[in-house]
Amino acid sequence: MRAIKGVLLVCDPAVKQILLSMNEKQSFIIEDLDDHHLVIKADEEYRVRRELETELEKNTYSLD
Amino acid sequence: MSNKRSADDLAYPPKRPRRNNDHDDYIEIDNEDDVIPPSPPDTSVVPRGATINFSALTRKLAEAKRNKDKDISNLSSLEVHRRQQDALVSHIFNEQDFSWLHLKTDHASRPLWISPDDGHIILEAFSPIAEQAQDFLTAISEPVSRPAFIHEYKLTSYSLYAAVSVGLQTEDIIEVLNRLSKVPVPDSITSFIRERTLSYGKVKLVLKHNKYYVESSHPETLQLLLKDRVIREARLFSIQQDNSIKATTFTTSKAPVKGNLVIPGTKEAKKDEAAPGKTPAITANNIPDANLFTSVVGVESDEIEEDDDNVHAFEIHDSKIDEVKKRCNELEYPMLEEYDFRNDTVNANLDIDLKPATVIRPYQETSLSKMFGNGRARSGIIVLPCGAGKTLVGITAACTIKKSCLVLCTSSVSVMQWKQQFMQWSNITDRQIAVFTADQKEKFAGDSGIVVSTYSMVANTHNRSHESKKMMEFLTSREWGFILLDEVHVVPAAMFRRVVTTIKAHSKLGLTATLVREDDKIADLNYMIGPKLYEANWMDLAAKGHIANVQCAEVWCPMTPEFYGQYLREQSRKRMLLYCMNPNKFQACQFLIKYHEDRGDKVIVFSDNVYALEAYARRLNKLYIHGGTGQVERMRILSHFQHSPKVNTIFLSKVGDTSIDLPEATCLIQISSHFGSRRQEAQRLGRILRAKRRNDEGFNAFFYSLVSKDTQEMYYSTKRQQFLIDQGYAFKVITHLDGLTDMPDLVYKTRDEQIELLQSVLLANESEAELGSDIRASEGDLAGTVTSKDFGPTRFPAAQRTTGSLNALSGAQHMSYIEQNKSANKKLAKESVSRHKLFAKRDKDKATARKEARALGRG
Repeated sequence: MRAIKGVLLVCDPAVKQILLSMNEKQSFIIEDLDDHHLVIKADEEYRVRRELETELEKNTYSLD
Repeated sequence: MSNKRSADDLAYPPKRPRRNNDHDDYIEIDNEDDVIPPSPPDTSVVPRGATINFSALTRKLAEAKRNKDKDISNLSSLEVHRRQQDALVSHIFNEQDFSWLHLKTDHASRPLWISPDDGHIILEAFSPIAEQAQDFLTAISEPVSRPAFIHEYKLTSYSLYAAVSVGLQTEDIIEVLNRLSKVPVPDSITSFIRERTLSYGKVKLVLKHNKYYVESSHPETLQLLLKDRVIREARLFSIQQDNSIKATTFTTSKAPVKGNLVIPGTKEAKKDEAAPGKTPAITANNIPDANLFTSVVGVESDEIEEDDDNVHAFEIHDSKIDEVKKRCNELEYPMLEEYDFRNDTVNANLDIDLKPATVIRPYQETSLSKMFGNGRARSGIIVLPCGAGKTLVGITAACTIKKSCLVLCTSSVSVMQWKQQFMQWSNITDRQIAVFTADQKEKFAGDSGIVVSTYSMVANTHNRSHESKKMMEFLTSREWGFILLDEVHVVPAAMFRRVVTTIKAHSKLGLTATLVREDDKIADLNYMIGPKLYEANWMDLAAKGHIANVQCAEVWCPMTPEFYGQYLREQSRKRMLLYCMNPNKFQACQFLIKYHEDRGDKVIVFSDNVYALEAYARRLNKLYIHGGTGQVERMRILSHFQHSPKVNTIFLSKVGDTSIDLPEATCLIQISSHFGSRRQEAQRLGRILRAKRRNDEGFNAFFYSLVSKDTQEMYYSTKRQQFLIDQGYAFKVITHLDGLTDMPDLVYKTRDEQIELLQSVLLANESEAELGSDIRASEGDLAGTVTSKDFGPTRFPAAQRTTGSLNALSGAQHMSYIEQNKSANKKLAKESVSRHKLFAKRDKDKATARKEARALGRG
């Protein structure tokens, strides 16, 4: 068995749902622990964070 | 940067200033002292180049500038350092960096900042003289945003026209501005003010004998206007005019003459005019076509009596009025629309007065004084919060003008409300006030009177019945002294234009609570009706007890994982249903209702989505009203809510946004709303502004928006709040309701129940997600503004087909039916109160009399 470097993500249940739906497009989750914890591939971390950010930003109203 | 609070923001201590990202590394090293930018020069040894306090930035920078000027001897390192500092931050402000402005030495005691760029004025509302400054600013500029401590105003052409028309002098405006400002008034602003105020009032739009004339005592102004293509084309030549004399001829009329006359031609003459005493002026020479005019010597000194001059006019097409007005504004010769109603002998007077018992409130008086500032009726818009008595302002205005009056509103329900209000506040008789709607077409008796109608009845161009055609002829054939336009901001521009051009009125008054539109058509109102005459300060009215104090809160309800997972998968319409039906929202709603009922509040819950409305109301066992609720049932529910101590909560759909008046309500919860509509938010807030108990000491009304976190609703919710925030309301964010989990019989507590709810939501038709689907506009109502109490035919559910034996269905096989989760509406005792025989008999008599009258009318 090969070891994969992973990162533990702590998030709220809603964000976990977003991550799950992102995972369907391009898999990066190693283990789904519970409502608040996920282990994801370490080298995907940056991309995931960035995509999550844009996803969350969609629901934000700004004056401009 | 968005202004939406994210959870991360909350984690920071609020005092901590934000820093430039590039210097993030420094944050940990710096101690608290370094964060505060040092102002005394002796601390300049501290290495602080990287830490910048953004909040006090502008002031500090300007101060730095001043210090620099003072300490010329001390140029050295400090000077260099300041330069560096300036360079570091100025890029943030781009064009808006005004740190080069010089502060006056006593700037601390002056409350204004003026932006030289766009005419925005920032007022420090905490300054001791802020109140006087506010009075002045509302006179010369338009309020943009008025939260607790810093107000923003904007100088516009229209606001300046309004200022001049109430009698403020150009130089006075500049002088006072200068006195209040921290920096000398920038040249760009002074010249802007001069320019706008000088051209004001030269051109008038006059209605004479049912024809529109552009009138001016300055013929060269008229010539200038006629050089413009749009205006030239709109011009109407009267027959007796010799067309060969080109476009330069005007009708010259001798208005009520007082001996000597002149055509005050040049700007100098205009200035002289303002000076007291008679100033003879000959203008003939500098006008090439002067010989065409009756140019005489002598001038009437007072500007008010401008009418006594020779006035020149040309007639324009009725249909082009609008374009001409717009064009004139663009040419910076705004047309004055004033109506000298006291000297109007052509139109018959209307005998109308306020009832002696009617008292108008101070702010209503102020708003009217802006309208009648110089003894004439000025056209324009008055903005007052919902529930602050707009109707009474309109009625008082009509009573002041005392001429025939046309009232236009958005729906047939408000038509009846207006009529009833007129009868209540003024001494007008039933015969003098008429209603023109789809069902009723009346004319008033006598020469003058009031007609109340809807925009669409008047603007409708096709498919008219014979009766309405005749009625329209009646409306268009006469001159109206006054036209009152209710809820002006909702009327589509095209429809508005038709109304304004077909109805000939001397003066117009628009009334509204929320001068916001989602489509930027506000600017059109400026030339179609007139400038904004008055805008009330909501916070002020609340402080004085005219409207209730309201605590606004946004409650964030996290989506449950199941709902959110489904939300991410669904398409937009179903999404809406999912975030409305979020179990956490359900719980929050239940908790808040319980909490406020226990406090003794009467609660209204608003939901635009009818599916969610019914689901909530049934589950929580409360009464509800939506479009499908029958008239009788509705009345019963409303009266229970008003009088029964047992019914403290009702659920309302969109139907409750405007028409239902419930002064008992003191708490409002919205669970679903119409996207980002700022107007709806303000209207809903208006439902509790007239709370009966508002004058109790320490009384607060409550306004909650329940929002599902991480959904589009967050976006809409923030957008919706913008208008109220500009009025000075602060929305608190509640992320956690204390004691929610301990509540007994909390709904949807277990995951199983939640999943069951999710199933039922998923099964629901997509059409259920539609907003306000329960309302149907009746003829004559304006689309999207339905406030009708008659909601059209009730919607029947589509037939369901199942197989089964007839025996079983009829109960022969011991089958029985029971209705689970019955609507609380149905449990209301049927009205048992029978009327006294005397009244019952009277009612019957009335009904038969009416029937006979109708039969007679037909025959």
